[in-house]
Amino acid sequence: MSTEAPARPKLTKAWTAAEPILEVKGLKTYFPVTAGILQRTVAHVRGVDGVDLTVRQGETLGLVGESGCGKSTLGRSILRLVEPTEGQVIFKGEDLTKLGAGEMRRVRRDMAMIFQDPYASLDPRQTVGEIVGEPLDIHHLYTSKKQRQERITELLRVVGLNPNFNNRYPHEFSGGQRQRIGIARALAVDPSFIVCDEPISALDVSIQAQIINLLERLQDQFNLTYLFIAHDLSVVKHISDRIAVMYLGKVVELAGAGELYRNPKHPYTGSLLSAIPIPDPKVERGRQRIILKGDVPSPVNPPSGCRFRTRCFKAQERCAQEVPPLDTVHLDGHEAACFFPLQPGDR
Amino acid sequence: MAVDQTTITQLEGTPVSYEGGLARPAQSYWSESWERLRGSTFGMFFGGVLVVLAVIAITAPLFANFVTHVQPTSVDLSNNFAGFSRAHPLGTDELGRDTLTRLVYAARVSLGVGFLTVAIYLLIGGTVGISAGFYGGWLDDILMRFVDILLAIPTIYLLIMITSMLPLPLGPITIRHDAFSLSFIIAITVWGTVARLVRGETLTVKNRDFILATRSIGASNLRLMSRHLLPNVLPVMIVAASLGVGQIILLEAALDFVGLGVQPPTASWGNMLLNAQTYFYHSTWLVIFPGVCIVLAVLSANIFGNAVRDAFDPRLK
Amino acid sequence: MAEHLLEVRDLHTVFPTKDGLVKAVDGVSFHLDPGETLGIVGESGSGKSVTVLSVMRLLQRPGRIAGGQILYKGRDLVKASDPEMQEIRGEEIAMIFQDPMTSLNPVFKTGWQVGEPLRLHKNFDAKKALKEAIGYLQKVGIPEPDKRAEQYPHEFSGGMRQRAMIAMGLSTSPDVLIADEPTTALDVTIQAQILDLLRKVNHDFGTATILITHNLGVVAGMCERVMVMYAGKVAEQGPTADVFANPKHPYTWSLLRSIPRLDAEEHEPLRAIEGLPPDLINPPGGCPFHPRCAFRIDRCVREMPPLQPVGPTQMASCWVTQAGRDLNEAVS
Repeated sequence: MSTEAPARPKLTKAWTAAEPILEVKGLKTYFPVTAGILQRTVAHVRGVDGVDLTVRQGETLGLVGESGCGKSTLGRSILRLVEPTEGQVIFKGEDLTKLGAGEMRRVRRDMAMIFQDPYASLDPRQTVGEIVGEPLDIHHLYTSKKQRQERITELLRVVGLNPNFNNRYPHEFSGGQRQRIGIARALAVDPSFIVCDEPISALDVSIQAQIINLLERLQDQFNLTYLFIAHDLSVVKHISDRIAVMYLGKVVELAGAGELYRNPKHPYTGSLLSAIPIPDPKVERGRQRIILKGDVPSPVNPPSGCRFRTRCFKAQERCAQEVPPLDTVHLDGHEAACFFPLQPGDR
Repeated sequence: MAVDQTTITQLEGTPVSYEGGLARPAQSYWSESWERLRGSTFGMFFGGVLVVLAVIAITAPLFANFVTHVQPTSVDLSNNFAGFSRAHPLGTDELGRDTLTRLVYAARVSLGVGFLTVAIYLLIGGTVGISAGFYGGWLDDILMRFVDILLAIPTIYLLIMITSMLPLPLGPITIRHDAFSLSFIIAITVWGTVARLVRGETLTVKNRDFILATRSIGASNLRLMSRHLLPNVLPVMIVAASLGVGQIILLEAALDFVGLGVQPPTASWGNMLLNAQTYFYHSTWLVIFPGVCIVLAVLSANIFGNAVRDAFDPRLK
Repeated sequence: MAEHLLEVRDLHTVFPTKDGLVKAVDGVSFHLDPGETLGIVGESGSGKSVTVLSVMRLLQRPGRIAGGQILYKGRDLVKASDPEMQEIRGEEIAMIFQDPMTSLNPVFKTGWQVGEPLRLHKNFDAKKALKEAIGYLQKVGIPEPDKRAEQYPHEFSGGMRQRAMIAMGLSTSPDVLIADEPTTALDVTIQAQILDLLRKVNHDFGTATILITHNLGVVAGMCERVMVMYAGKVAEQGPTADVFANPKHPYTWSLLRSIPRLDAEEHEPLRAIEGLPPDLINPPGGCPFHPRCAFRIDRCVREMPPLQPVGPTQMASCWVTQAGRDLNEAVS
């Protein structure tokens, strides 16, 4: 960013932009369910149940799914805000799951997160200047108070906030402005990778576009890589290069954004696409809907084989017996975990 | 950083003529709460009463020298049970000691113990509560079981047991029946409730996104606890403190009344009451005055405490 | 003019706060005919929820109706007494709310709750009410309704709870069903199920439906007519197809261009609406949208435009379109 910006932390291994910036291998994050007087673990909520992902530098990978699919847990596991149970998270060549606290702190200068709830993600007792300046203090980046304040002013400007707001408190701002503060905080130490966890779901519709445009502009300006997590596929399709669809802890389809929309292979993706309302009465009247039966099964005890089979209109015996791997359908840059993928005639 | 001027002006869409919701000046939670408190007439009035009592208590020696011209311990047997006069506005007790002066000195003890005890139990209970809530796991289990045991023992019983062992030589020091020691003793028997309260609030605050967000930028546990958790848990502690003062004053007076608290000749409202009991039919005033003082102090503390709670209620953010 | 089933005329609802008077609903008029579906669209602070809460006279103190009329079958509900409103609520006008988690009482069985309007309004006894309730639970698509009726709300999923709410609303065959953001808290695939159900209810039972939402896509798929609200006022009204194809208010026009559409081409830029939602205590003078409006003229800053017909089927409160300008002609 700035010519005065502190140097990036040194990595233990050399990494070049030709390799993926992030590789997730076999990631599992389980949460214990305890019961009884002695609080014994009786079961596990399988938040993330075996996910492999690759993210290239400069791209936006969208992560989409409904509640309980594990997308937020995946985002937090990558940052180790929630400890993964199994698997590897390789960021710029380093396996984050093997790092100690001090090393993790160093890495945290290079990865950041933007949170969903603009009302809960800022400390109500801190001023805006303190919130945005805290990362600078934690990593001891500026010895000169003047330079530190200049950096904070820069950050506020870049996200579109009046720098005079420095001494105000979060509750004096609207949701959209608070989200901008959160973005400024994330950018403070000049990260290369940002996990955006539902950054616009809690905002008014007329403000959402402002924040989407801001995120896109920042990505171009600072060469950022995004993992964009959301449940609204319209937004994810707009901002992402590639999209991973999650269901009950697993990725069920992975494709380029446009390709996913035009040519979905997994029945869940198909029903998700057909369920999303489009603001155009003519288009809406003419749509064919795939309405799913029933509700999402419990992540404690998922169905055997393919987890989606209990609601799938194409399910057959094989689906109950075998778990389809992600590359069951393997087209160019497009994978889907389904033995009986959607065909053009199905929709 | 090369700031692109044209894009910045595009983003700053808020026109100068209309600020949209930022009309108020910057105001922190603390100043907002203080304003709310100021708005409560009852609260401010009784807060004022407390302040006056405290000032009188602190300046007790000055009071004795310049107002009543006697010491609280000056005995004058020829003038015992005196009625109201210029020299003794509230009369004298069985030993001819001036009641007014004694009441003022006693205020030191009662108010002193009240505030000091609260400060100590906030410190202990707060530390235990935040640690248990923040770290969870076995630390939480151990600390909370300990609190459970402590809370299961009746406070009065525990207090009576401890104070009846005084004076207690403990190595180089001896714990006696003085206000300072009493504050510590009372504090260690009642910190349990505060610990539970603080732990609960810690758990609530801990799960909020901003804690996670601060962790994601690399904050250490210590930083999280001291700079982020504590300021957000403080309102609940303030509320507990404000309501505790009245309770402690009563508790201390009760201890004195059964003879296990501050011992004569040091005056406290409680032991003045105890003393005066014997002379109830003879000189009823000797009973009424300390009683009125206790009531006034506790009432003021409670009403002010309620006002503080309403003003600082974290839910009113 | 034939009498409308429900007609709201110049409604004003206010909330006194310590910072000033919040004009939550500031002169809103609309009507609803039997069997129609009307969508009320707006963002937080637009007044859409307060409008229907006013219709149901369910405002929480210190909110109060400060002016206007609410004519239901010719009767002015603003002047109705509490007992009269209690008769109407649940029996003639039913309402379902956004959060199905908290709308149902957790300590009573679901079947008992769904049957409550019947016991209250039609004097059914407990057994008969339960039987009817099970019937309605089935009509709204809950499998094994007799077993489900014996369960408590926490044993239901979000989607099923909302279905139970709809069953409860329908049980007395009301003329009007008001749904306040019924699917906002639900997953999108569940949302599709619920919207499908509401369509079915409107079709099979002929219940006039008012659907409140901030999602323009939902309105496009569900409602024959739509009313767009901004800052407590009506921005525009009309048949959904016309309003979407040819919006007559810059707010609607800008909103449509700022929403990412699933069927949009890749990398089509979003045209964000600048600025912030309005302050309802000290709204800007003139038209409340003017600070953010790309078509603003001088008059907009000074005078509030009234809601007037613009075009053959629509009404809008905008000086620019009332003067004949077509917003779609604007480049970008």
